[in-house]
Amino acid sequence: MNAISSSYRVQYDMRPAKQVERRMLVDALQRLSAAGIPVADYQYTGFGAIYFVDFILFHKILGLSKLLSLEQHKSLESRMMFNRPFSCVEIKMVSASSEIPNLSRDIRHIVWLDYDGVLQKGFLSDIQSALTILPTGSILLVTVDVEPPEEHDYKTVDPDFDSSKEVLGPKHWRRYFEHHASPYLNLGLSDDDFGKSELGKRSGEILRAAFTRAIVARPNLQFVPMFNFSYKDSHSMLTMGGMIAGRAEKRQLQASTLGDTDYYCKNFKDAPFEIKVPRLTRRERAYLDREMPCADGWIPTDFDLDADVVLRYREIYRFLPAFAEILL
Amino acid sequence: MRYASAEVRKQFFMDMFTRDISLEDCVLDLIDNSVDSFLLGHRISVSDLIFGPDGNTAAEGLGTIDVTCNERQIKVVDTCGGISRARAMSDVFCFGHSENDPVGKLGAYGVGMKRAVFKIGNKFDIVSRTSIEGFEVSFKLDEWAERDDWKVPIRFIEGAASEKKAGTSITVTELHDEVTLRIKEGGVPKNILDDASTTYPYFLDRCVRLRINDTDVVPKSIKLGELNGVVRAAHEEFEQGGVKVTLAATVAPGQRTAEEAGWYILCNGRVVVRADKTDLTGWAKELASFQPKYRSFVGIASFESDNPLSLPWTTTKRDLNRESIVFIRARGLMATMSKPILSFLNSQYPSDTTTEVADIRDAVGGVQAVSFKDITTRPTTGFLYTSPKRKEKRNELVRYQAEVASLDKVRRHLRRPNMAAGEIGKFTLSHYVKTECSE
Repeated sequence: MNAISSSYRVQYDMRPAKQVERRMLVDALQRLSAAGIPVADYQYTGFGAIYFVDFILFHKILGLSKLLSLEQHKSLESRMMFNRPFSCVEIKMVSASSEIPNLSRDIRHIVWLDYDGVLQKGFLSDIQSALTILPTGSILLVTVDVEPPEEHDYKTVDPDFDSSKEVLGPKHWRRYFEHHASPYLNLGLSDDDFGKSELGKRSGEILRAAFTRAIVARPNLQFVPMFNFSYKDSHSMLTMGGMIAGRAEKRQLQASTLGDTDYYCKNFKDAPFEIKVPRLTRRERAYLDREMPCADGWIPTDFDLDADVVLRYREIYRFLPAFAEILL
Repeated sequence: MRYASAEVRKQFFMDMFTRDISLEDCVLDLIDNSVDSFLLGHRISVSDLIFGPDGNTAAEGLGTIDVTCNERQIKVVDTCGGISRARAMSDVFCFGHSENDPVGKLGAYGVGMKRAVFKIGNKFDIVSRTSIEGFEVSFKLDEWAERDDWKVPIRFIEGAASEKKAGTSITVTELHDEVTLRIKEGGVPKNILDDASTTYPYFLDRCVRLRINDTDVVPKSIKLGELNGVVRAAHEEFEQGGVKVTLAATVAPGQRTAEEAGWYILCNGRVVVRADKTDLTGWAKELASFQPKYRSFVGIASFESDNPLSLPWTTTKRDLNRESIVFIRARGLMATMSKPILSFLNSQYPSDTTTEVADIRDAVGGVQAVSFKDITTRPTTGFLYTSPKRKEKRNELVRYQAEVASLDKVRRHLRRPNMAAGEIGKFTLSHYVKTECSE
C-alpha cells in the first residue's frame, strides 16, 4: 500500500471517468434489483476515504442502508468521522483482510476492494478471502492501478534499487509482478509482456486467475463476470467484478437486463469496457444530449466532431457527471 | 484375446510398501488399530471426544495399550476389545478393507498392520481374544514371501475371560538389521512417546491409556486462547462429500515456543499434521512466511467422516493429500482466518510503542485457555480484537519551558534559592489549584 493514503492525493468526487464507472455500477445494480435480486438489503463494504461518494450513491439511489467503510490509515480517522454522510455508514479503522472474515454470513454483500495501488500480494489475498467467505449472491468488485509500479512499489521487491543508477522498465516490472503474483501469471511471458501498455492486460489476467483459484474450492459456485472497466482520470485503472453465484443466482443474473448494456462484461477474457470521457464543452454536451441516443454514424452539423467520439459519448452520456463551480 | 501378466509380486510389494513411512509411524499405525478397536467396541463417537468435555470421562472403562520397543522385539498389547474371528478370516490380513468390513475411524486404508510388520521384522505373532472367541496367527515373512498364495495360517483359540481382558497382542521379532540399528542408536521409544502424546490428545486418557516401555504417555493438548471481550477466536465450518470440517484459529495462551505455533490438522481426531507453518496451510503463500513474532498463532482444522477414506490424510497419516477437494476448500478458509491474527500479532512490534501497542501486548499475554468446543459452538466468525476501554488516567506528565528569570523570581519570593525547576512547577500548579480552583 502506498505510504500516503490516496485521500490526500486524489480529489475523489472530481474524477469524471471514475464517476461514470460508479454510475454504471449503480445502473447495473438497479437492473439486478428489477430482476428480483434484493440489492437494497445487501451490505456495502468499501473504502469510503473522506469523500464517501460511492456510499452516497448506494444509499440514496439504491437504498442500501448497511454500509461499512474500511480505512487503514489511522491518521484519517477524525476526518472520516467528520465527513461521514449518514448515520448508517459504519466506519472501521481496520484493513480489509482483517474485516472480510468478520462480514456477516447471513446477508449478501457488495464488497468493493477499490485499491489505489498497483497489484500486490495483499490484494490477491483479500480477493481469496472475500471469495472464500462471502455468501452466495454477493458481489465482489476489485479496482487496481495498472500504471507501471513506481520506485516505492518496486522497492518491496528489491529494497536496494537505486533510481540514480537504473531506470525502472519492463524488466523490473516483470520482476515486480512475479514477486507479487507468480502463481497467477500465465506461462511463457517475457519482459516485453510487461511493457507499460501491457500491464492492464497482465493485471486483468492475474485478477481473473485469482477469482478462479478462490472460487473453485466452493462446490457448485461460480464467480460470474459482470464488470470489466478500464478508465483513466490521472492513472490508468482497471475494475473487475462479478457475483458469487450458484445456479439460481446465475439464472437471475441472466434474466436481468444487465446483458443489454454496453458495459456488461460477459467474459473476463474479453477486452475491458473502456470508459473514455470525451472532452466537450457544456454547450457541446447540451447539443449532443438533445440527439442522444443517436443513430449509428450520426455526427453534429453545427461543429466538427469525429463519429467515434460521438459513439463514445453515446455509451456514457447517461452516466457522465457535469461539474460546476458553486460559490459557498 | 491374449493377456499379459500384471500380477503383484510379494517381495516387491513388501519392499516398496515400507519405503515412505518411518519406524515410529509404523508403530503409531498399530496403536491406531488398538484405538479403533476400542472406539468400535464401545460405540464411541470421535465428535464426542473432540468436542466433548475435557479430561478423563470414565477412568474405569479405559482401554490400555502397552508398547514395548527394544532391540529384540516391538510389541503392542492392548485390552481394547479384540478382533472377531470373522474379521480375522476375511479382512484383517487383507490389503485394503472389504466393502462389508465395519469401518473404523482411524484405520482408513487397511494397510497399517501389514506395513508395520513388513517394515519392522521377519517374525510376526498376533493373538487376539474378544470376550467370546479368539485366534492366533504366527508366521515368518521370508517363508511367506516364497509362497504363491496370499493366505496366512490361523488357529482358533478360546476367548478372553472377560470384556475387560479382551484385546490383541502383536509381536514382531527377528527385527530387520536397519530397525535394530535405529533402536540401538537410541531415541526410538522416546520418539514414539513424543509422537503419540501429540498425535492422540483427543484419545489418551479419554478412551485409552497408553504406555511406551512402561512409561505413561501424557497427552499434549492443543491450547487455544481467548480474552473475554478483547480477543475472540475465528471459527469456520462446512460439510462436503460426507466430511465435516471444523476450523478454529486464535492466539494461544501462555508462553509459547515457535515449535508449537501453526496449524494442527486432525482427521477423525488423530493429529495428522502438527504445528504446520509451511505452504501446506498457506504460510509463505497466501500468508507471510513464519517468523518468531507469530509464535502465539494456533489453529485447528478438524476433518471428520464415517468413511475415513474420504478424509484428506495420506496413508502414512503424517501428511495431507493436497488434491483433496475438501482440503482445498479448508485451506482457503484457513488462510482467510489466519490473516487477521497475523496482522494482530504483527502489530505488537511497530516502530514506536504507543498505548495501543501496550494494549495489544497485554491482550496477547493475557489470553486464557478456551476449549475447541467453546469456540466451535458459536456461530462462524472471523478473529476479532477489540481494544479494551482505557481506564481514566489519574496522572499526566506536564512539561514546558519557563524563563529562568521567572523561576528565580519564585525562588527569591519563597527564599529557597536551590529550589529545582520541577519543584517550582509542581508548587505553582498546586498553588493555583488551591487558590483559584477551590470549589
